[in-house]
Amino acid sequence: MRPDPGSFRDPSARVYQNDGHIYRTMTPAAAEQFDAVRATGLLDELERDGWLVQTQDADPSKLDLPLENGGRVLEHERIPFISYYYEWSFSALKAAALLHLRTHLRALSKGITLKDATAYNVQFRGAQPVFIDLLSFTPYSEGAIWEGHRQFCEQFLNPLILRAILGVPHNAWCRGSMEGIDSGELSRLLPFRRKLDPKVLMHVTLLSRLQALGAGDRETTLENVSKAPVLPRDRFVRMLEKLEGWIEGLKPADIGKTVWADYECDNIYDSDERAVKHEFIARVAEQHKPGLLWDIGCNTGEFSETALKSGAGYAVGFDFDQNALDSAFARSRDKSLPLLPLFLDAANPSPNQGWNEQERGGYSSRICADCTLGLALVHHLAIGKNIPLRSVVQWLMGTAPLGVLEFVPKEDSMVRQMLALREDIFPDYTAENFESYIKEKGEIVETQQTSKSGRRLYLYKRR
Amino acid sequence: MKKSVFAIFTALPLLFISQPSYAYLDPGTGAFLLQALLGGVAGILVVGRLYWAKIKGFFRRSPDKSSEPLEARSVDET
Repeated sequence: MRPDPGSFRDPSARVYQNDGHIYRTMTPAAAEQFDAVRATGLLDELERDGWLVQTQDADPSKLDLPLENGGRVLEHERIPFISYYYEWSFSALKAAALLHLRTHLRALSKGITLKDATAYNVQFRGAQPVFIDLLSFTPYSEGAIWEGHRQFCEQFLNPLILRAILGVPHNAWCRGSMEGIDSGELSRLLPFRRKLDPKVLMHVTLLSRLQALGAGDRETTLENVSKAPVLPRDRFVRMLEKLEGWIEGLKPADIGKTVWADYECDNIYDSDERAVKHEFIARVAEQHKPGLLWDIGCNTGEFSETALKSGAGYAVGFDFDQNALDSAFARSRDKSLPLLPLFLDAANPSPNQGWNEQERGGYSSRICADCTLGLALVHHLAIGKNIPLRSVVQWLMGTAPLGVLEFVPKEDSMVRQMLALREDIFPDYTAENFESYIKEKGEIVETQQTSKSGRRLYLYKRR
Repeated sequence: MKKSVFAIFTALPLLFISQPSYAYLDPGTGAFLLQALLGGVAGILVVGRLYWAKIKGFFRRSPDKSSEPLEARSVDET
């Protein structure tokens, strides 16, 4: 039984994994609190509505888990692919933030509150956010403050504001500053007139100013008041509702065409060529029925959709383009697809990080796909980023035992464009080499040309 | 005189002391004070008292130190 290296901040509970099962142990005190929460019916309702991860009681006697006398064990539904908020698109983060606030509001209506507000308590099933930390729920006492307020601002609100007001994606900042974006730092970046918006003034600027004020407290003023009821419930509820309304209306400031956003409509494929590509993917999905598909360079998710409709179980899409990601997320949400689009810079994937460099597993620690799609991708890495072609092929083949890779030759207009202002230092960038690199680690099962310019798909199977 | 008045004032809400929370998380003084302000008069007075202490400190310091930004000072003394 392996303890989850990310589960240690809250001493009242721990998460363990074994053989595809997820367990959570609770101390007796935590179990008591959990029972009080469960008795209100809140957890069942949230689970039924798909807001909370499915959970059942587990029998501790059958499991080899460290447990106090009177402690309890729960088993949770397994989320198909774990992801972190610095890998989410703007739309995904917004959906997660709204889920958190709405869950909290529902809880308050039943006399329950949430102990914290970390983005790591939300995971995704396709485009549907789901709350996973059952022990965050605790009975509410009238007047008690919202303890998660700071965390909510740092991990949900500020990253959203960064994109909505400044047009800067949150991924790089939040990956580096794993615990969130500091309100003081954000406040210093916001233009003055933006800070005049009362919502920004309150939740960003004032919050950071009061933090500094409180840090200077030399007369233990705070110690004397911190145990008293502070915030009446109706004001608490109103504050959450106002945040909800605000976040609902947030949109990226930089909406406009990015490099590939209009790829679907305006690219080098004519519709016949595109249909050939879709057919190939559909056949592969039908024949092999991959449980988990990775679509690296998923763009707006059209090929993941095809694969899912033809027999793939669940798809994780990866892309670098923010607008394409938001389009893919919208596609997944509107069509209720089991597709989770995530931000990935293939040349710089998320590393293991956090405490002991293990708290949040990196990209390679989560490699688990049955099938990989690497469409219209290889040339961006080999030529765009100067990564040796052989290395690109090996990296891709390392993600799954089966996959479809597309080779885009130098005659193609896209590659010609990429080399237009550069010296061609890629003598080994040829289809023949591409094929031989694949054959080093596997077989080419099938191949098909998909464009007049010579683009070609390869279905590989690793040895 | 100030201290005893304030002590009485803070003792009143302590009569309705809330349950100790099982929280592991540090809510942060900023969030606490912000919510105290939203909460009503008591919060406004608490924040007022903290600002008063800050202003007093500003004048108490020797002239050549007074140009230091306050935030840097609090960080140094943590």
